[in-house]
Amino acid sequence: MEGERKIVIDERVLRRRDLFEEEEVARRGRAKLPFEEKIKILIDLQKLARDWGGKKDVIIWEI
Amino acid sequence: MKKTLKVLNELREKGLIQDYAIGGAIAALRWTEPFFTQDLDIYILLKEVDDEEKGLVVLSPIYEYLKSKGYVWKAHWIMIEGVPVDIFPADPLEKEAIKQAKEVEYEGVKTKVIVPEYLIALFLRAGRNKDRRKIEMLLEQCQIDRGRLQRILSQYGLDEKFRELEEKGYGR
Repeated sequence: MEGERKIVIDERVLRRRDLFEEEEVARRGRAKLPFEEKIKILIDLQKLARDWGGKKDVIIWEI
Repeated sequence: MKKTLKVLNELREKGLIQDYAIGGAIAALRWTEPFFTQDLDIYILLKEVDDEEKGLVVLSPIYEYLKSKGYVWKAHWIMIEGVPVDIFPADPLEKEAIKQAKEVEYEGVKTKVIVPEYLIALFLRAGRNKDRRKIEMLLEQCQIDRGRLQRILSQYGLDEKFRELEEKGYGR
């Protein structure tokens, strides 16, 4: 079964669902970042969308 | 962003608006992990209600003030200190959301952000795919007062929409 395949990272053996669960925990952690930090990340995302995503009309916020 | 919030606070201090709160994606982002968005949605409570009762919402004094400070339009946004802002006069649900919004500080500047329970109701009412994704993030990533949410949904006739959303697997 695809979901039961093991993935080895350093000394850890994980199933895909373990990785998904860890990702969810990380997302909840990022949700607790300070507002200011999140806005800085947002601006990086805006730059990424413009420079990598080819969205030339994206406005990069000033902070 | 800091300067933008200062300008919004000025609108209140000068009596052009009664109050405001940040809504939309930036409000959601306050409670979830960061994600891409482009504009800052601001919901406002107006002082003058006479015209509103006639079904007419007059935003001209606000825009005249912003224009006098040199802020310009770009598409449907007004650019305030480098941030594209959409200003929405609040309807009854949004008025309540503003009154219940949480006071927060951004780099020392006080502002108000709509809380997750009201955001869920507002996104649910808007009903676009991107709104549903934000509801999912809010349900998964922050503490939701389920009793409060239920009261808001019932009050504004959104129970059924929320039930449908949950049945589709969002917010598990």
